[in-house]
Amino acid sequence: MKRPTRTEIRGARAAAGFLLPFLALFLFCFIAPIGYALYESVLKTERTGALGLGGETREVWAGFSNYAHALEDDRFTTGFGRVLLFGAVQIPLMIAFATALALLLEAASARWVGFFRTAFFLPYGVPGVIASILWGFLYVPGISPLVELADAAGWEVDFLGRSAVLWSIANIVTWQFTGYNMLVLIAQLKAVPGELYEAARIDGASAWQVARHIKLPLIRPALVLTTVFSLIGTLQLFAEPKVLKPLSNSIDSGYTPNLAAYNEAFTSNNQHIAAAEAVLLALVACVLSFGFLRLVGQRGRDGEDR
Amino acid sequence: MSASDAQGPGTPRRAVLGGAAAVAAGFALTGCGSDDDGEPEGRKKGEKITLTFWSWVPGIDKPVALWNRRHPEVRVEVEKVSAVDGAQYAKMHAAIKAGKPPDLGQIEYPVVPSFLIDNGLLDLTRYGVAAHKDRFIGWQWQQSVFGKAVYAVPQASGPMGLFLRRDLFDKWAIEPPATWDDYAEAAEAVRRRGAWIETFSATNGNRFAGLAWQAGARWFRTEGDTWVVSLDDEPTRKVADYWDDLVRQKLIKTIPDRQNAWYKDIQTGAMASWLGASWGDALLVGNAPRTAGKWRVAPMPQWEKGGHAHANWGGSTTAVFAGTRYPKDALEFAIWLNTDPDSIALLIENGYGTPGAKKGYATSDLDVHKDFFGGQTYSRVFAEASRGVDTSWRWGPATDTLYQRLGDAFTAAVGNGGSFRSALAKVQGETVWDLKEKGLKAEAG
Amino acid sequence: MTTGLTEDAPADGTPEADPRPQKNRRRGTGRGAGPRPPLRYRIITVSLLAVAALYFLTPVYWLAVSATKSSSDLFGTFGFWFHDPRPLDRLRQVLTHDDGIYVRWFLNSLLYAGVGALVATLLSAAAGYALAVYRFPGREAVFNVVLAGVLIPGTALALPLYLLFSELGLANTYAAVLIPSVVSPFGVYLCRIYAAAAVPGSLLEAARIDGAGETRIFTTLGLRLMTPALVTVFLFQFVHIWNNFFLPLVMLSDSDLYPVQLGLTSWQGYADRQPELYQYTVGGALLSVLPLMVLMGVLQRYWRTGLTEGSVKA
Repeated sequence: MKRPTRTEIRGARAAAGFLLPFLALFLFCFIAPIGYALYESVLKTERTGALGLGGETREVWAGFSNYAHALEDDRFTTGFGRVLLFGAVQIPLMIAFATALALLLEAASARWVGFFRTAFFLPYGVPGVIASILWGFLYVPGISPLVELADAAGWEVDFLGRSAVLWSIANIVTWQFTGYNMLVLIAQLKAVPGELYEAARIDGASAWQVARHIKLPLIRPALVLTTVFSLIGTLQLFAEPKVLKPLSNSIDSGYTPNLAAYNEAFTSNNQHIAAAEAVLLALVACVLSFGFLRLVGQRGRDGEDR
Repeated sequence: MSASDAQGPGTPRRAVLGGAAAVAAGFALTGCGSDDDGEPEGRKKGEKITLTFWSWVPGIDKPVALWNRRHPEVRVEVEKVSAVDGAQYAKMHAAIKAGKPPDLGQIEYPVVPSFLIDNGLLDLTRYGVAAHKDRFIGWQWQQSVFGKAVYAVPQASGPMGLFLRRDLFDKWAIEPPATWDDYAEAAEAVRRRGAWIETFSATNGNRFAGLAWQAGARWFRTEGDTWVVSLDDEPTRKVADYWDDLVRQKLIKTIPDRQNAWYKDIQTGAMASWLGASWGDALLVGNAPRTAGKWRVAPMPQWEKGGHAHANWGGSTTAVFAGTRYPKDALEFAIWLNTDPDSIALLIENGYGTPGAKKGYATSDLDVHKDFFGGQTYSRVFAEASRGVDTSWRWGPATDTLYQRLGDAFTAAVGNGGSFRSALAKVQGETVWDLKEKGLKAEAG
Repeated sequence: MTTGLTEDAPADGTPEADPRPQKNRRRGTGRGAGPRPPLRYRIITVSLLAVAALYFLTPVYWLAVSATKSSSDLFGTFGFWFHDPRPLDRLRQVLTHDDGIYVRWFLNSLLYAGVGALVATLLSAAAGYALAVYRFPGREAVFNVVLAGVLIPGTALALPLYLLFSELGLANTYAAVLIPSVVSPFGVYLCRIYAAAAVPGSLLEAARIDGAGETRIFTTLGLRLMTPALVTVFLFQFVHIWNNFFLPLVMLSDSDLYPVQLGLTSWQGYADRQPELYQYTVGGALLSVLPLMVLMGVLQRYWRTGLTEGSVKA
């Protein structure tokens, strides 16, 4: 270990200066809330006064009882199971859809590519709430032209029924984000040296073989990235069930973990349990996304020589 | 905090980072916010102030505009809040927690206690509310009295009644049902004609409470300092079994009421009646204008032939939030809004329910939409119902949570075929649990 | 966007690594000018794409049609066709209802997303640059913490953040939405990866020898070299803030502070008391979506470029 040079000291100072504004706000908006949530989650409210009305309130140590409450509450745990199921089905489908579109666009003749790409990407500019209001109109029987057309074709659909509504939500999410994921994949495809395709073609590979054996492996990193982001997005599901809830008799107040935490905080007005639920949610999200990254990281290293 | 600070002649890095961490930690540890218990100073003479008022009564802006013309110094600003799925209360709870509640708010009787456990409402006795007691209907006044304190001014109640499409009932030769047995038969008859008599909206806890209330249930009572919860009592079970049966037989729909699909059904006649409340006339008129003249109002079906048991759905107060700086003026507005004859006239015109005030209007004034109901003096039906309401019914704390629990349990029961009765038992247990979690004493009754 | 966290995270990002990434860049759609595939394939491809386009555009079409209808026609007429279209009247009603509150919501959205994304980009640029260019103890630790920040769902933070802001008296203010919006761990991540490759150490050294201070080097050299990444970060964050619903929902109770989507849900929630609001909600939704969709269309190319370069860098 040699002593740091003057340049290095100067550099370290400069680095601290550049980092400081971001880090301060990062601490304030990421670390502090987590700390605060942890703190709130181990407290509970104690009330005095007749029947607990109009008296004094006091925060007292609760240990892990709020966590126990959250985990015992089947609406919260069911909601967790539900988003996991949602993720297990919707994410692969959406990524596959996006990949297919990206590959098709690559293969299509040039004139139409711009139009299609824009069309697929447009819904990304529609916020989740608006998308849900919009699709909500397209789901409600009696108003939806889709239901009307299906009825005319003798096909009975109930988009908001108990078995269908989760997948109706999945459709909204897919509609919104497929184009975005497609764009990321296209970006990655464009980064592949063209000579590689040339070489493959000269070797007589079909378009399908090129896609399967050259393109797919090359866009793997982008697939990993879009999957992780989708995973995080799935665990955060909120706007869609919140907007559709009044329209459907099948969405309960704990339909997703986020909805449960929100209702716990604002309907039940119990911020301690809400804090515990937020902590659990963050924990699961971190474990899952790190776990996924590690999993594909390992496989990647085993499979590819780099 | 700009990047150029980096050039400063060197706060040591560690100190800087440490400082930031300390600041963040400091934020994290300020657990108990500033509580200022000082008396709000109130308005000085001649000072112009603005009060904010959250409400969802249709056309509430009209009486408020009148007030503003008459009281230029105390301007009231209305903010219309959504009443779907309890959104308005979520917003109020959030605002209270954020320390910036409005000055006044519309709060339904069932949820007044939920705001009390968080000290969200002002005890109005300190500002002379007691002097106005006799201007309001006794039992409505009592709904906001806890101990010696009075927390809200009655606005309106919602005695329930049966709205029905007279033309369709006549065409199909179905009598308006007098008892619940008749109602079940009527449901079947309507169904045979391809229409529906009603929907059981799993998430509508408010109406279910009304139905249980009519059957003689008592969900909450107090013993000393303890809340006794009896959600799973015999009358409520009877109601649950009844609707469970209608749902099982597919005689009624299970879509949410007062939502897009329901309005569509109301407009087309696919839904031929509605168990609503006195404030519901405005909703029908507003959302199904093309059915004008075809509706009538009948009394709620009875459990016993010739009975006269009725119930309330909703009913609102005007409450003053604890954070207001001008409690006197806020209270004055709340009293004026709900007792001044001109204000009541405007409220009635836009459909706010059955007035909480005793005077200032005639019952016939309430027949605003007479033409829509084919000339029927329908307010008499509701006035009559109002007299049949068991006024000893009390609401417990955390009713919004209870409604949510009830909605979740019924949602599950409708979906997976569980019985409504078992849903009741589940919610009963959960409610006791929820109350305890909130730091209250509670037990099952 | 980049080639994924796995490969990049452990990269030490030394400034020497490939200073001229542009070399790999490829533009235009006429790439791979091999023999055109047979007509049959092209027809199949275009048909599949057309079906997909139908899926993505149908709801937008429905929205455009419905925005010209009255509330009762919205419920009473076939959704995929016009009925008594009066687009200008409807537009005027949306814009003027309740003293033009819609315009205010729209401006609020622009403020949150515009200012938030701009500040977020600058902060991310500075932090990413520092992580890429300087060596100092704890650098990887800082980077890993930031990386963990990418993986924490924003909405899990929003609730505790709200409780915290309430204690500080910040809830229900513009700052309540703006402050959390300017923190973008993903932006820092992207900026670091990009700067590591695009800002050559030799150039910095030369500038230092010329006597330039570190701040000057950053503002004149660093920011300029990082521009493509900064555009990506800005757009990404802009859309992120614009689309964010949970944070403003939790933070704001005063409707004067609402962004447009929160405002629209409040209209929708009140519509059964005031049926014309159904119409305003739909019209307002179309209005709010149009600018962003145009932006998507126009900036798509540029954005894609940014994405590409981000990934090439890695």
